[in-house]
Amino acid sequence: MAAALSVASDPHQPHLLRLPPPQEAGPLLEEVRQALSLGAIQGPLNLICGDWRLRLPDLEALQSLLTQQGLTLVQLQADHPETRVAAASFGLHLGPNTGWLPHPPKAAATIPALTVHQGTLRSGEHLQAEGSLLVLGDVNPGAQISAVGHVLVWGRLRGVAHAGRLGDDQATIVALQMRPLQLRIAGAVARGPDEVPTAGLCEEARLENGEIRIDPASPRWPLQGMRSQGLNVGSSPSAQ
Amino acid sequence: MTAIPARVILICSGKGGVGKTTLTANLGIALARLGETTVVLDADFGLRNLDLLLGLENRIVYNAQDVLEETCRLEQALVKHKQEPNLSLLPAGNARMLDWLTSDDMKKIVGMLAERANFVLIDCPAGIETGFRNAAAAAKEAIVITTPEMAAVRDADRVIGLLNTQGVAPVQMVLNRVRPKMVANQDMLGVSDVTDILALPLLGLVLEDEQVITSTNRGEPLTLNGSLSPAGRAYMNVARRLRGEEVPLIDPSRERRGLRARLMGKIRRTTGLF
Repeated sequence: MAAALSVASDPHQPHLLRLPPPQEAGPLLEEVRQALSLGAIQGPLNLICGDWRLRLPDLEALQSLLTQQGLTLVQLQADHPETRVAAASFGLHLGPNTGWLPHPPKAAATIPALTVHQGTLRSGEHLQAEGSLLVLGDVNPGAQISAVGHVLVWGRLRGVAHAGRLGDDQATIVALQMRPLQLRIAGAVARGPDEVPTAGLCEEARLENGEIRIDPASPRWPLQGMRSQGLNVGSSPSAQ
Repeated sequence: MTAIPARVILICSGKGGVGKTTLTANLGIALARLGETTVVLDADFGLRNLDLLLGLENRIVYNAQDVLEETCRLEQALVKHKQEPNLSLLPAGNARMLDWLTSDDMKKIVGMLAERANFVLIDCPAGIETGFRNAAAAAKEAIVITTPEMAAVRDADRVIGLLNTQGVAPVQMVLNRVRPKMVANQDMLGVSDVTDILALPLLGLVLEDEQVITSTNRGEPLTLNGSLSPAGRAYMNVARRLRGEEVPLIDPSRERRGLRARLMGKIRRTTGLF
């Protein structure tokens, strides 16, 4: 399966280039070069990378290849968290990490119930998830994480966290150590508490009467209480 | 020339003014004094001043660009230090050619330097833009230097994230300009506050030292001196640890006591008086 290019008819609209699944494809640049050799096109381009794991040097190489061809990379749609982080630090506009079609059927099944990110998120990094998000690591000051569902941090939360990004007011934020700069749940925003929390106490932030409050975390696995999307954690995709 | 591959170390911080160039100059001298062939590459060619700190400003004739354009040989462009012949400096370029050096140029020039030295230290420009990216592309490992201030720590954190995505490893850290008194009074971030956020191995701890200013102005790095000042000793220890020696870190809470207090303490202990 080769990379698929759909050329935009309107010159102001971006072209779409969709990469094949990484396990069936050759090296990145070859795939892209091959796809572009089919037609001489210029202008803005949206790249849909699916599960490709692209790091900063890959993006740099890709950018220079596209620039040579007269194309500007305007948006990147990626599912792999590392690609998203790299693209964000590269200054690329990130599209939603759903399928590749211009008008994808919004099937709930394609949205991963739980995205797992392994590693510390450092200042300036921004991680977004379509379902719930579990970070195995710290979220440092200056970093931002957001999820349509819950945000779970197995580590210290010291940056900004947003749960229920699309308005789910049942979403919660749980962290082993809760020292956030700012918390957001659905439409509510709260500054983090000034005092340092008790060590060894896992805490949970939830929305109560429109206000965010922090309590010791309940021993209940929060995804079970999620009412939207009908989550099924047992069959969620494995950690990436 | 050397059998062991050279260690190419990027010295960066994100924020400006925290001591990248001072560390590069002192570390260069310290490594040279320990017998290592060392080249310092000034990648901060927009605002270059590594030559100034090393007292080599008036000896520069060529730079890395001339080497790449083959207007001169690498040996001609390398400026040997006056007292420490093991150390040489290569300026990357001059301020007029801001957009000249690409990451490929950097890799090429660092590759050439690595063939003739044990250590290549790259003095990185402040910020995280092209200059930083190009310098990082050529480096294998990195030292992130920061001061105990929130802004510096935050920028260092950002830089560490970028280094991770570029595959630079290992990344170690030097904490600069620590004032023990202020740390003790909790007016300044402590060592653990910083290591807590950055989660990097601590390669060195440098106390605030007025001698740094004098030495910078004179163009004589502190490590050049036989009798070392506190900061000079700290830089020397960083060099030793880089070579794999086990040197214990200084304890800032003990360094806080002045000479008089330490003397009095000693007298008290030995004589049992007072």
